[in-house]
Order: sequence, then C-alpha cells, then structure tokens
Amino acid sequence: MNKKSFAPFFFVGPHLILFLIFILIPTIYGIYASFTQWNLMNDPVWIGLANYKTILFDSSSTFHTQFFNGLKNTLLFVVISVPMLIVIPLLVAVALEHKQVKLKGVIQSIIYIPGLISISAAALIWLLIFNKQLGITGNVFHSQVAWAATQPYAWIIIFVITVWGGVGGNMIIYRASIAGVSKELYEAAEIDGAGSVRRFFSITLPSINFPLIYTFVMTTAGAFNVFGQPLMMTDGGPRQSTHVLMMYIRQLAFGQGESIAGMASAMAVLLGLVILVISTLQYYVMNRNTR
Amino acid sequence: MSKKVSISKYIAYLFLTVLCVIWVIPVVFGITTSFRSQTEVVSSGFRLFPKEWIFENYVAILENTSTAPILRWLFNSVFIAVSHTLLVIVIISLTGYGYSRMNFKGRDTLFFTLLGISFFPSVVNIIPSYKIIDAFGWVNTSWAMIIPGLAGMGNIFLVRQFMKGIPGELDESARVDGAGDFRIYFSIILPLIKPVLIVCGLFSFVGSWNDFLWPVIVYTDVDKMPITAGLLLLQDIYGNYRMIGQLMGSAMLAIIPTLLLFAFAQKYFIQSINLNSGIKG
Repeated sequence: MNKKSFAPFFFVGPHLILFLIFILIPTIYGIYASFTQWNLMNDPVWIGLANYKTILFDSSSTFHTQFFNGLKNTLLFVVISVPMLIVIPLLVAVALEHKQVKLKGVIQSIIYIPGLISISAAALIWLLIFNKQLGITGNVFHSQVAWAATQPYAWIIIFVITVWGGVGGNMIIYRASIAGVSKELYEAAEIDGAGSVRRFFSITLPSINFPLIYTFVMTTAGAFNVFGQPLMMTDGGPRQSTHVLMMYIRQLAFGQGESIAGMASAMAVLLGLVILVISTLQYYVMNRNTR
Repeated sequence: MSKKVSISKYIAYLFLTVLCVIWVIPVVFGITTSFRSQTEVVSSGFRLFPKEWIFENYVAILENTSTAPILRWLFNSVFIAVSHTLLVIVIISLTGYGYSRMNFKGRDTLFFTLLGISFFPSVVNIIPSYKIIDAFGWVNTSWAMIIPGLAGMGNIFLVRQFMKGIPGELDESARVDGAGDFRIYFSIILPLIKPVLIVCGLFSFVGSWNDFLWPVIVYTDVDKMPITAGLLLLQDIYGNYRMIGQLMGSAMLAIIPTLLLFAFAQKYFIQSINLNSGIKG
C-alpha cells in the first residue's frame, strides 16, 4: 500500500520538479520582475507599474523608443514571414501530390534539410552569398548593393533565410495531412469536371483545416520570438530598422553595462501578452470560420 | 483532359525545380567555398566549383585552439546534445507512463494544468531562468543547456497520446502475474513506445544542437560554448574578408551532425507527424 502511493511520484516526480524549477517559477518570477527595478545581481525592488509606464507612455525615454521600434519591426517580420511560411509549404505539398511528379522523396528532403541547419551556420553561408565582393549576388547578378546595410535589402535577406529554413517543417505537416484526404473525394470531383484549382479550394483546403490552424498559430507565435535571423544577418541595422523586440530584451538584460532586467522583463511580459492574445484570436476566428 | 494534366505537371515541376535549386545552392556554395583558397575566394568572377580543391582551411580550423576553438565547440555541442537527448528519453517515457498508465488522484487535472501553463510564452521566463542557472552555478557549463529543456511538455504530450493507444489488457495480465509498475514500464511499455521515443529523441537532438538564443545568453567563456554560439563570434571575420574558406569550413562542420542524423533516420523525421494524431487532420 505504502509502496503503491509512492510509485506515481517516482514516474512523474522528476519531471514535476524540473517543471517547477525551469518553467513555473521562472514564469511567475518573470512577471514579478517586470514590476521591479532589478540588475540581476541584487534583490529586485518593487516599483509597481513604473516600468510599464515608461515603456508605454514616456516618449522621452529610450526604453519607450526601443520598445515601439522593436515591436514595429517584430510585427513587420511576423506579417510578412508568416504568410510565406504557410503558402509556400502548402504549394510545395500540393505540387508534390501531383500524380506525375517523380522524385518526390528527393525533393522533399532537399526542401526539408535547411530546417536542420542552425541559424548561425546558415547565416554565415547566406552572408557570403549576399556579400557584395565575394558572393553570388555580386558576381553573378552584378548587384552592387550592400545587402545587410541598406533597406529594403536588409529585410529581404532576413526573409530569404527565414523562408529557406522554415518551409520544410510545415511542408511535412501539409503533405501528411493531404495524403490523409480521401482519394474518392478527388475522383468524384474529377468526374464532375472540377479542375485542379477548384479541387484545391473545395476539397484540399477544407479537409486540412485543422493542420492549417495549428501551423498558422504555431508559426505566428514562433515568428514573434524572432531573434537569430536579424542578429546574425543585419545585427539590427541599418539604423535599428531590423532590431526586433527579442534583441532589445536580451540587450537590456544581458548586454554590456549594468543589467536592466526589470525593464527587460516588462518588455518580455508585453511581448508574451501580444503572442497570447494573437494566438487565441487566431485560434477562435479560424476555428469559427471553418465550421 | 490529358493535355490539362500535363500543363499542371509542368507548372508543378517548374515550381519545385526553382525551389530546389535555390534551396541547394547555399549548401553547395558553402561546401565548395570551404575548399577554396583565400586568393580564389577574393578573386572576382563566379565559379560554383573551386579551381583547385584545397584542404588547408580544414587543417587551419583543426589547428586553431585559442581564438576560435571549433573542435572544442563541436565537442561541447556533441556532449550537450547527446546528454540532453538521453535524459529527454528517460524523462518523457517515465512521465508519459505516469500520466497515462498509473492511477493517482488528480492525475489528468495535473497533466492538463501543466500543459496549459507550458503554453504561456516562454519569452517571459528567459531572464529568471538565467538567474536560476546562475544560482546553481551552471553559467558557462554544459548543464545550462542539458537540464532546463527537460521540463518541456510537448514530448510528454506525444508519448502520453501514443501510450493511450496501447491496450490496457497488456498491463492487466502482467499485473496478475505479479509485475509492478516499474516492471511493466520497463519490459512491456518501453519496447512498444520505441518509435515515438526515437522521433522525440531525434528532434530533441536537433533542437538542442541548433538552439541559439539560450546559449548566446548563457555562455561568455569561449571554451565552454556550443558551436552555434561560437559561430556568432566568427561573424566579425566578414569585416575584413579574411579566412572566408575557414569560416565556411566551420559552418559546414556545424551542420554535418544533424545532416548525418537525417541521412540515417530520414523516415523518422518525415513520418514524425503521423505520431501526432492531434494534427493529423
């Protein structure tokens, strides 16, 4: 009896402890820290809503400028990258479903592989390709642009590496879902004379609506956490025009000079709230529209 | 009708071919550049393949143990990713068993509470996590990357789902024969959940190997870094156009392990989605 009551703890206990230490406590502490002045060394000092007031309303403060610049750049990244990360994988999946297309496995692997490459290694390679003197853009296309230092090219190289690395994962999900759609539906539609475009919109899309919602929500939430691509490709430049929120948060908390972890926590909480609200909205709106 | 099919075939091929070419070029260019001499790299004109294949870049990488200890970084990454993956497999199989095969009060409530909390955006817990790592004395050690990721719920959710598909009669009959939970877990369940453990293990390895934000925050000691964080330090090299071949060689060494894993376990990566009944559609 005694042994029996202890057994569950043996199985779920280790993870429960890890969860408390590395997820629950840091999350609560992160919210608490956003109401404090904290330099990561001494104990945080409670200052109420002061961080939030500064960030949101004090237009003379650099934190205010940084937050809104970071938020603007993050939103721009989300709004442009997410549709590409949904539509391109979907097109690839549909094209790969084509009966007469050969080498499906090879093509799928080629598209998938960049997703296995770390952002720092990928960025080193793409920076070389976009290098004015040494790269492909300069030598093959005779482009004289300093990509990372000029807009809109700085954004373009960030999107290129993002799409290159991000298409594979969603493609696999869509392929698996499309493969699960009943073949009879397609055959019936073909007999009725529906063309491939029509079949796509009236059979494929509605049949995979759950994977679509899932990937849309997850890709968006992921995009809000964008960090590696701008850090590696442009380092936030030119003139902070690709400096995203996550970079400011890291800079304030862990950058050079004294840590401003309280302010950084407030920015993190605000970013977290944006992600939470948008994910929830996406889920409800899409779920309702597809019913 | 048949004409229409062939047009759509060509459109599909054209689209896939263009994409594949763009997708492959960076990797090919990276590989070939790592075998180019510095003189060739800086000379103008584009050649996909080197005029002369040289290995000096890799020799130089292996010899550099101070400013950019690539081998050291690779070793750190391997140690971190392998340890993390093994621990993930132990933790998720134990925990998945607990939440799907054992009966204790509030089991499902606890599970879904944890799952719900884990959906909260992780950006909020990064700064305090650093503080906790610091309190354990783990800053600039491999533990900082091995342990915290074990707390995640995603893999446990998958394992629990998978275990629910295993008929309960198996445990019942073992229990009648006098087997305890640990016996059942070890000799009945564990062999049956191998596929899901392999998939979770592979993704944990790749995730740990490629993690970027966290190592950039946690490591300041050049000797202790994993390769992803180390490569960030090399980015400055572009400023003076020196050692480009070595730079590419380093990037190539950083991507080889995950690509090898993919080459050998491709079917698990591709089929992984079938395990997740929740999004199968």
